[in-house]
Amino acid sequence: MKFKKYTDKKLGETVYCGKHSSGLEIRVLPKAGYSSAYAVFGVKYGSIDTAVKNVSGEFETIPEGTAHFLEHKLFESEDLNAFERFAKTGASANAYTSFEKTAYLFKGSENIEESLNILLDFVQNPYFTQQTVEKEQGIIGQEIRMYQDLPDWQVMFNLLKALYSKHPVRIDIAGTQDSIAKIDADLLYRLYENFYNPGNMVLSVVGGIEPEKVAEIVENGIKKTDGSECERKFEKEDAVPVQNYIEEKLSVAQKQFMLGFKEDISEPLLSLEDEIASQIMLEAVAGKSSPLFKKLLDEELVDMGFGSELFNGFGFSCVMLGGTSKDPEAAAAIIKEEFARLGSEGIDSAAFERAKRKFYGRMVMGYNDIDDTANLLMNLYFNGYEPFAEIEACKSVTLEKAQARLAKIKDEYSALSVIVPVE
Amino acid sequence: MPNIRMLADKVRLVSEPADKFKTSCISVSMALPMDERMAANSLLVYLLKRSCKAYPELSLLNGRLDELYGAILGAGVAKNGEAQVLSLSITSLADKFALDDESIQLEAAQLLSDIIFKPNVKNGSFGAESLATEKRLLIQRIEEELNDKRTYAFNKCISHMCHNEAFGKDKYGTIEEIQSVKMADVYDAWKNMLSTAVFQITVVGAADEERVAEIFKKAFDKVERNPATLETVFIQRSRRFNRFEEKFPVNQGKLVMGFRAGMSHRRDNIFAVTVMNDIFGMGTYSKLFMNIREKMSLAYYCWSRLVASKGIVLVESGIDTDKEKKVSAEVLSQLSDLRNGKTDPEVLESSKRALREKHTFTTPEGILGWYSSQVTSDEILTPEEVVNGIEQVTMEDVCAAVKKLSVDTVFMLSAQEEAENEV
Repeated sequence: MKFKKYTDKKLGETVYCGKHSSGLEIRVLPKAGYSSAYAVFGVKYGSIDTAVKNVSGEFETIPEGTAHFLEHKLFESEDLNAFERFAKTGASANAYTSFEKTAYLFKGSENIEESLNILLDFVQNPYFTQQTVEKEQGIIGQEIRMYQDLPDWQVMFNLLKALYSKHPVRIDIAGTQDSIAKIDADLLYRLYENFYNPGNMVLSVVGGIEPEKVAEIVENGIKKTDGSECERKFEKEDAVPVQNYIEEKLSVAQKQFMLGFKEDISEPLLSLEDEIASQIMLEAVAGKSSPLFKKLLDEELVDMGFGSELFNGFGFSCVMLGGTSKDPEAAAAIIKEEFARLGSEGIDSAAFERAKRKFYGRMVMGYNDIDDTANLLMNLYFNGYEPFAEIEACKSVTLEKAQARLAKIKDEYSALSVIVPVE
Repeated sequence: MPNIRMLADKVRLVSEPADKFKTSCISVSMALPMDERMAANSLLVYLLKRSCKAYPELSLLNGRLDELYGAILGAGVAKNGEAQVLSLSITSLADKFALDDESIQLEAAQLLSDIIFKPNVKNGSFGAESLATEKRLLIQRIEEELNDKRTYAFNKCISHMCHNEAFGKDKYGTIEEIQSVKMADVYDAWKNMLSTAVFQITVVGAADEERVAEIFKKAFDKVERNPATLETVFIQRSRRFNRFEEKFPVNQGKLVMGFRAGMSHRRDNIFAVTVMNDIFGMGTYSKLFMNIREKMSLAYYCWSRLVASKGIVLVESGIDTDKEKKVSAEVLSQLSDLRNGKTDPEVLESSKRALREKHTFTTPEGILGWYSSQVTSDEILTPEEVVNGIEQVTMEDVCAAVKKLSVDTVFMLSAQEEAENEV
């Protein structure tokens, strides 16, 4: 197979990208001076995939939490499980499921090639029985309960429930105790067949390994399939939230809040440039050197944990700001006022330049970390971008662009999620 | 081997330069006895992080960091044995990534030095408003430890277990002590820290070691040093068994079991104890993971942690409240199997491989953390020395180390029966 080379001279990094005949995308960034490598094998199948196309081409609903359940179960096998196999190479293996993908990974400095073989092998060889599925329901049940007690997690998922009426981003990644009770071995096999084909996957490797070696291991270790990518259904939903306020009582010391602004989107995905322009805009407007942060802090409405982010993916996009506050409504009102003020007066150009510089610096710093870099390369692929596209997008963001992104933030599309201490 | 030199009495500079990293990382660790100054020391470190002479306000200092391509200024308070360690650190982009060829690294190093040695002090005052704000934020930070029940239960177990030892104290000091700190106390804490703290300046990555040494050497030339003596009490065997319980309206209970590890100082039998702890409850091949999670499906996590600086081991797990007896009995039964040599010899090899990986750092932050955590040790131990030491450990050594382990205190955070989480 042939690799295409992408180099960023200033950054001093080169990425090799190639498409294997099975449909699998491979991305490799060899790093000089690193003995360790980090590899991630990702599938475009996450918690938002709550429907699959059946034989007659229609979308059929499946229980919530299947992607995450499969992630847990793939580690099992008829003989040695994946953890036992990695224990022999010394690599530390793990996996995670997010809204849009499932990722299996390892990091190691010895026996990297053998670890890569194991990674490809265990992800491609499912083995479930009714008994092992039931055992996992107990473990995942505890995982779900653990998250139910985490205020940071709950405040965000409650916000998503308030913002979105239909989009499955509103459901918990692991599903619920009830939904996982509906999962059985047959269903897992059927979903595995549907999503886990190389055309719907990417292998991203960063660190002490050469691209040719990775290609060779893939050539010998990947199963041939039709190589098709799974289709997702985009249903545009009304930008007006389900409710403007949502509250939950938890065992916490002080109130926590998250204010969200849903974006009115007509296409399922934002462009990378829009995404980065939004992030830079948020840094300029609500970052730690902004007048907004100073005001909130001076009025004792937030603490140093205050933060903001753009939260987006297939079919959803919103801006979130939050932290701890004695008066979330007052904090929310000040934030809304500031967005309105900057909407008419314009973002301060010096603040914009500082934010852009910070953003660029943090992006370059990210390349120190082989874990972050491999995940970045995977995400860029899933969203249809070439390596280093994020750095180019950052350099090209203008104040006008940031201002245009700010204009998308509207009070009528907002909701406030609050966690209140139990009396 | 890192480069080690002394800049002043008990001011050690430890440096491991590496061109492969895109950042320059410098941390200054300052170790002090856990005495009546703890609360003032904690406030001091956050006051120092707020501003300095050249950038006398929080937003100005944060703006300066943004200009320096998003340099990251960190501040923290930790317990290291029975010493309170204050830390201030800066991570900045290496000069070669600057878009306009400006200098970043040295500016960042100078800024860190100024923050410590040239704070925004006028007539012995850090500013009444700044102090009031930092008091509010620190008290809030302590109160919010309640939000994360896992950490809360972990700290509670330690405070009960070590209630007659300095280690049982909260790292920040108590809320009452913080409330009663006066401006003169903070100023005195600053003077005291410069003169008496045991310092370690750790430099990793693209940083220019010589120039960093010059900057700090110059700053210390104006300080009269009178370093404190730091001592930690090691209790080798548990004297009695205690169980404590607190009830909260939560979904999941948290069990923490505290053990004395039989160590007489932080490096006493350290290699065998490290392997013992790893096989007991760190890796996926460990007794706790294999049995409590995988076999019995009782928990999503159940692991053990070694706090070598105090010679204790803590086992923690998130479980259903009514399973406490079952889980704690199983933890002790696994320990007994380990003591009696009922461990697959392959597990020892897996553990050594995994520990070798854990000591192969791939980020400057990892290396920095490794060395800076040794601020209170006279001799610096390199990761290679630890790996070599671990290599020599036999199963007999592990069994002997388990024999010295004694259970001391159990803390159970239980779910109240009427727990509800209706949104």
